[in-house]
Amino acid sequence: MEAASIAHPSAPAGHGHGGAGEHHGPPPANKSSRVEAPLLGMMLFIISEVMIFGAFFTAYFFIRIAEGEPWPAPGMHLPVPVAGVNAAILISSSFTLHWAEKSIKNGNRFGLKAGMFTTLLLGITFEFIQINEYANIGFAPQDHAQQTIFYSLTGLHGAHVFIGLCLLSFITIRAFRGHYSPESNRGVEIPGIYWHFVDIMWLVVYTTVYIL
Amino acid sequence: MLNPLRSEDEAFRFLVRAIAVFVVIIALILILRAVV
Repeated sequence: MEAASIAHPSAPAGHGHGGAGEHHGPPPANKSSRVEAPLLGMMLFIISEVMIFGAFFTAYFFIRIAEGEPWPAPGMHLPVPVAGVNAAILISSSFTLHWAEKSIKNGNRFGLKAGMFTTLLLGITFEFIQINEYANIGFAPQDHAQQTIFYSLTGLHGAHVFIGLCLLSFITIRAFRGHYSPESNRGVEIPGIYWHFVDIMWLVVYTTVYIL
Repeated sequence: MLNPLRSEDEAFRFLVRAIAVFVVIIALILILRAVV
């Protein structure tokens, strides 16, 4: 950052961009939107993610409604209570994340660190239970169309949880290293939007796959 | 107007509403299955 504000030694004095103290680095990015770039990026990303999930749900409803296949398929037993507890674990992680975000906005560093650490642990627990479910569920993705779409939908969501866990890890490490403040907490807020999105998608996936 | 993509706070409030809606849907499905 500091280097960008120092004039290049080889630049001729008084040439082109004016006097001492003026910015000599790359020009600032063009800002054509009222929404700031990181938030706009996350918005576009989440909108594209909704489309991806929509494509997978289309396959699910095609199998169930257009093809009229039974759900779950004969011999396919879904662990509804375990998945329900897992859903509660994931949803509670959004509450701890919200607590962390509120804490840093109020200058409470302990709340940020405790909230982020708890959120990370809850997310890891969810992912671990999901993997354990795959290991013990008793059917494979290639068995039938229903099994394929079960693994596709839950696996797609699991991949999103994994990405979220990476982001949460970065935030947690940075929080423990003293980053973020009441004035500067975009690094918590924007991945937070993503994490809430992942939780909402799990509500949809859980209701559709396990309950309906 | 609640926009869940605008801020973490709004995303969280949207999540809370979604939880309420899905809890009602799940409860209705389970009750209907038990009755029918």
